[in-house]
Amino acid sequence: MSDSDILPAEDRAWTGRTQSYRPRSDWRQRVAPELAFHRDTADALDPTDYEVIRQKLWTINIAHGETITRISGSPVLATLDFNMSILTEDAEVVLNAPYVQFLNAGAPLGIRYILENYSGQPGIDDGDVYCCNDPWIAACHQMDVLFACPVFVDGQLFAWVANAGHQYDLGGIVPGGWPQNAEDVYSDPVVLPPFKLIEKGEMRKDLEALYLRQSRLPDMVALDLRAQIAGVVFAREQLLALCKRFGAPTVKAAMRKMLDEAQNSFAKKLLAIPDGVWSETRYIDEALPGDRRAQRTQLTITKTGDRIRVENAGTDAQTPGTNGIPFTSWSGSITGIISVAMLYEQLFAYGGSERQIDYAPTPGLLTCVNHPTATSGGILQTVPMMNAVQAILSRMMACDPDQKADLVAPCGDFVLPVLVGYDDRGNYFGQAILDSFAAGSGARSFGDGVNASGPTYSPLSMILNVELIEQWYPILYLHRKDDTDSGGAGKWRGGTGLRSAITPYRAKGPISIVTNSGGQSITTMNGPGLFGGYPSPAGHYTILRDTDLTAWMEDSRLPSALAEIASAETLNLRAKSNGTDLNLGDIFEVRIGGGGGYGDPLERDPSLVAQDVYLGAVSADAAHRIYGVILDGNAADAAATEARRATLRADKAGWTPVGAGTTDRTPATGGDDVMVHEYIVATDRDGERILACSHCGHRYCGYAGAYKDGALVRDDPVTSIPSSPDPHLFMDEPMVLRRYCCPGCHVQVSTEIAREGESPFPEMRLTAH
Amino acid sequence: MGFIVGVDIGGTFTDCVALRTAPDGAATEIHIGKALSTPPDFQTGFIAALEAAAGMHGIGLDAMLADAHVYHGCTVGTNALVEHRTARVGLLATRGHADATFIMRAGGRLKWMPAEYIAHVAKQTKPAPLVPKSLCREIDERVTFDGNALVKLNEAAARVAIAELIAEGVEAIAVSLIWSTANPAHELRLRAIIAEMAPELFVSISSEVSPRVGEYERTVATIINAMIGPPMTAYLGQLEVDLVRHGYTRGLQIMSCTGGLIDAGHARSLPVLTIGSGPVAGLIGAAGLATAAAAPGGNRNVVTADIGGTTLDIGTIFDGTPVRRPTASHGQFEYFVPTLDVRSVGSGGGSIIRTDGEVIKVGPRSAGARPGPVCFGRGGTEPTVTDAAAVLGYLDPDYFFGGRIKLDVSAASEALGRVGAPLGFDARQTAAAALRIVDSQMGDAIWLTVTQQGYDVRDFALYGFGGAGGLHSAGIAKSLGMRQCVVPLSNLAAGWSAFGICASDALVTESAAVGMASPFPPEPISDRWRHLEAQVRERLTAQGVAAEAVEFQHFAELRYSLQINQVLVSVEGGDYDAAAVGRMVAAFEAEYERLFGKGAGYADAGFQLTALHVHGRANLSDVDMGHIVQGHSGATAAKGRRDVIWYERGPKPHPTPVFDGPALVAGSATPGPAILEFPDTTIVVPFGGTARIHVTGSVVIDLGEEA
Repeated sequence: MSDSDILPAEDRAWTGRTQSYRPRSDWRQRVAPELAFHRDTADALDPTDYEVIRQKLWTINIAHGETITRISGSPVLATLDFNMSILTEDAEVVLNAPYVQFLNAGAPLGIRYILENYSGQPGIDDGDVYCCNDPWIAACHQMDVLFACPVFVDGQLFAWVANAGHQYDLGGIVPGGWPQNAEDVYSDPVVLPPFKLIEKGEMRKDLEALYLRQSRLPDMVALDLRAQIAGVVFAREQLLALCKRFGAPTVKAAMRKMLDEAQNSFAKKLLAIPDGVWSETRYIDEALPGDRRAQRTQLTITKTGDRIRVENAGTDAQTPGTNGIPFTSWSGSITGIISVAMLYEQLFAYGGSERQIDYAPTPGLLTCVNHPTATSGGILQTVPMMNAVQAILSRMMACDPDQKADLVAPCGDFVLPVLVGYDDRGNYFGQAILDSFAAGSGARSFGDGVNASGPTYSPLSMILNVELIEQWYPILYLHRKDDTDSGGAGKWRGGTGLRSAITPYRAKGPISIVTNSGGQSITTMNGPGLFGGYPSPAGHYTILRDTDLTAWMEDSRLPSALAEIASAETLNLRAKSNGTDLNLGDIFEVRIGGGGGYGDPLERDPSLVAQDVYLGAVSADAAHRIYGVILDGNAADAAATEARRATLRADKAGWTPVGAGTTDRTPATGGDDVMVHEYIVATDRDGERILACSHCGHRYCGYAGAYKDGALVRDDPVTSIPSSPDPHLFMDEPMVLRRYCCPGCHVQVSTEIAREGESPFPEMRLTAH
Repeated sequence: MGFIVGVDIGGTFTDCVALRTAPDGAATEIHIGKALSTPPDFQTGFIAALEAAAGMHGIGLDAMLADAHVYHGCTVGTNALVEHRTARVGLLATRGHADATFIMRAGGRLKWMPAEYIAHVAKQTKPAPLVPKSLCREIDERVTFDGNALVKLNEAAARVAIAELIAEGVEAIAVSLIWSTANPAHELRLRAIIAEMAPELFVSISSEVSPRVGEYERTVATIINAMIGPPMTAYLGQLEVDLVRHGYTRGLQIMSCTGGLIDAGHARSLPVLTIGSGPVAGLIGAAGLATAAAAPGGNRNVVTADIGGTTLDIGTIFDGTPVRRPTASHGQFEYFVPTLDVRSVGSGGGSIIRTDGEVIKVGPRSAGARPGPVCFGRGGTEPTVTDAAAVLGYLDPDYFFGGRIKLDVSAASEALGRVGAPLGFDARQTAAAALRIVDSQMGDAIWLTVTQQGYDVRDFALYGFGGAGGLHSAGIAKSLGMRQCVVPLSNLAAGWSAFGICASDALVTESAAVGMASPFPPEPISDRWRHLEAQVRERLTAQGVAAEAVEFQHFAELRYSLQINQVLVSVEGGDYDAAAVGRMVAAFEAEYERLFGKGAGYADAGFQLTALHVHGRANLSDVDMGHIVQGHSGATAAKGRRDVIWYERGPKPHPTPVFDGPALVAGSATPGPAILEFPDTTIVVPFGGTARIHVTGSVVIDLGEEA
């Protein structure tokens, strides 16, 4: 039975009750008439005024973030797990701060909800601050709480300032807020629709108490609460000072211009890309801990002229468990990546781009879940969604020579082990190891990804020093090091990730390890590859039980890698697990993913491969097997490498044709040749517009066809990716690595992690006009 | 009669400020000598600048040096780093942790990078490693947070690793082990082993270079110290020989980023302390002036803006004391060093003016010294801020740099016109927009700095110095709502760092990282104070300071147990008891509240004491800035008028009086608009402002409300 059969009409609408809140086109008509909008906009904006105001808004956002980290003093907020925004009176995002890009995506939604529903009662007044963590209204998940503050000029609503930041704890069945065993939202941290916490400058004591009562750590949450409120109040005062200096209409004109510039820039970049449909399919693992099945997600972007339409059709329906994300996170993952990939010149002023986007999600699917699906633990699935957006945008940008230089393959997914226990002084701790903030970034069209760069979607996210962590928690880091083969192979290699290994030190009793992971980051892959580049391999959570570490230490020696250690047992923890003991003498290692590769690895300069092997970024095995490079000492043997590569290419002649090819024909256009892929060109031939191999001229298909139909394909076990774990340890799904190549010259053009036997993933269909 | 001589080596010029002192220590006469810098043998330019200054005093170099104190701001280390002429360094790290300097704390490396770089992820990268992987060796040993040597140092394996590095031809070795701050035994032992195996190698160990918790920033500091150790040793050795040859008998004192002078031996072993010391000297000079009995303007809260060709260096003085910070940056590498908080942003006279088709943009790219601004006529084709200033009439084309550089205004005008054309701007409109934008950018950077330090910029006066300080200060101050700006000692503003070096005390800091949870036992704190004081005294004695002349200052760093902000507070020294511990905690809580707001600290979770620092300070000279009197010729009338465009007043030029700065009498007041010209400094007084000449020769501009 579908939702439409059982739900009353009101709940089938985007009201935030069952389906997520999405403002309808007429939402402004439901704003209380007594709330006056300040819409005065200066007719003429001096370009220099504009530049000065734009810079100042950026500075206000940075200082807003600084205010929060300083005042809260929270180790969580110190890793910059937040974001802040300045919005117009009707909640268009003028400017984001450079932190976690999707995290405050709910601000425009939450503020419009407040305007629509509460502008009459309890009202929106000067000095108010609203608070909300409802994922169906404004939060990406319950732990990222939104604070929104209206800015009034002359008694009229001029603008909004807002932030969202991660809290220590807001209840739910597992401390810390990522309950992986939550069947529905009633096991999650508390859900709070918008409420007015501060009325005309005064904190509502009753509501503060109600809020803090939800947390296991109310005192710490109280500090964060004050910090976040201080942040929006600070930003409000600064914005008002700016209005005083330039006049509110001038500031408003500058805000509108920033929106227009983002819109125009986005539209212009879209126009440079041919019309078409791009799609990315990603699997995500175990809805609930122990589930040996995967779930499918699909994201599709249809680009027509200067607009895009975004859909999630092809995604599995929501189920009990924690794989779902709400509309807020889904749409935030799209704008978050657009912001860093296509609108970097706007310095995070992405808001205007939303005017060119039509969101067309199907509610009730995993990437747009309805209430009461669990959402808090699902936040990690936002990262593979952002990676899907990044893969799609990169393929689109590759069609325009100017934008091609700005594309980046997706980075590693997020793996999040949480340690819970006591130190030998009796202090309780429960803390995530956030080393995933040093994931590798994806390869680029002109160079390798950055090793341990940190996430593309949050450029400033950082990891803490080992000494700082050891000072706080009863563990000892045996190593934190660059990880061989963790970047996806390709003509340009993905940046490598990390391995971090710990053992208890001065802990009282065992340390309990809880695991949380996004995508298939523990089974099949991290970042997808582009244009024949390999995906980066999955990571792991490995425990070695009862090791001989003490004997090593007594002998004044330390191991460099887990493989050197003898142990009674090796445990590989699942992507989601709720508490495995780590005892004295045990070792726990987490492997953090690298980024996806770009282009056929057989096209990589052999000397770069040799250097990678020398520096430990690539293993000799991968050099031989994937890159076809034969080493002679620290250098590549040119002749032997050429022979090896010829053999590997020749082997591909035996791959299977995907299909007979489409019969669709698009008449020749007389237009110039256009590269639409690293190895594919749109060109006229024999009266027809076709997609052809740019190396050998092979015709894949007509212009509007699916190029994979004209390719050769081969399935291999996922373990053929160098250093990949065996997914069958954790799952019953028949996942395979599938590679496509040109039948003519055998250049590798695509890779995907798919269920065995399923149709090729739709990737790109250009639109014939 | 003697001399205090401060020498600051810049990229283009070496500045030498020589103060002639009376027997009571009072300064009687002050002159700047300038010479071209002579990389890589900087000592040649050093001696030439000294000769020039001696000449200004009408004596020979040897006569001046016969009774002089020579203080030196040494950029050899900085230049070696920037130009990649450093020693080949090997790194010894704890097994499992050598990659910290490759990982660079992931996005943490971008913290101090410009917005444009942070936003453009496709263009981001990591810099070349300071020590390549081939020269990193991991050592079997492990100390824990509580100082326990959990894994004893494996000396046999360490010797193999050291032998490998020696065979690789390293010239220096950096040793940085996990938790060496809690127990330095393994680092000390490794240094002894290296000394035994290769006594000629420069060795730097992290527990001495940078005893702070946090392996990444500590390791970077240790490596940088090793990289510049050998070139610094070579340079100072040659310089000392040259000085002795000219009859100098005292010890050479070196400016450190800590905010004071250290002796040359100290600088040889810890050259990392010399990086950034030039801008720090400027801040010290400003603090000296602001705390003088007759300080210009009388405000003890000062923001300093050192505006040069490529950068603006921002410093803050609160109630007479410069604000400090625990880290500095070398590109994307951040490292621990106890420095005054001077932040650089890429805005200066050389910042390039361009357009994106919609608006005018300024910087962060700079034309630098080569090719420089268009108007210098040295091949620059892209217009810069200096070009805009020339076109607007702020600069006299025939009197720039005392007439030593003739400005080609028409070339500047043509370049600006070209940039502004797509927006329909002529050259003057483009120049006015660019000046306003750059003043505003500089103002924003200052505002962000001061706000992040927890202060309100409107409570401060702005001191503007450096080549372009006099040009921009008033505009910046106005945009920030500040009421006053000061161009210190007017013409000396252009050589302000050298002057600041003269004004510095001897200052030695010693630190100990500690990891104590409250309640803090008093005895270990007392023990640490005694130990640190002894170290400080030993260093200062070596510097020629009498033991009884040393003034100690004690600082403690604390945080709330569950919060991350560490706060440095000034505390008492001596033997601690429970009451003294209580006062230390109370001082922390008060400072925390001042910085972060009432109720921001969570005291119920307890406190952590993370570090103790002792500063030892001694006057090396008794110069009171307030008594430096600059001569004047007594004229007060304008020497002429020229058309100047004031960007706040639209594109129409205003005939503006131009004054000969050195002629102005102390106490005189000049209403804006006006231009005050000194040989090396041009000072712009806007509409509504009034420039007063202070007794020190400083120009104090009061910024009234514009009519």
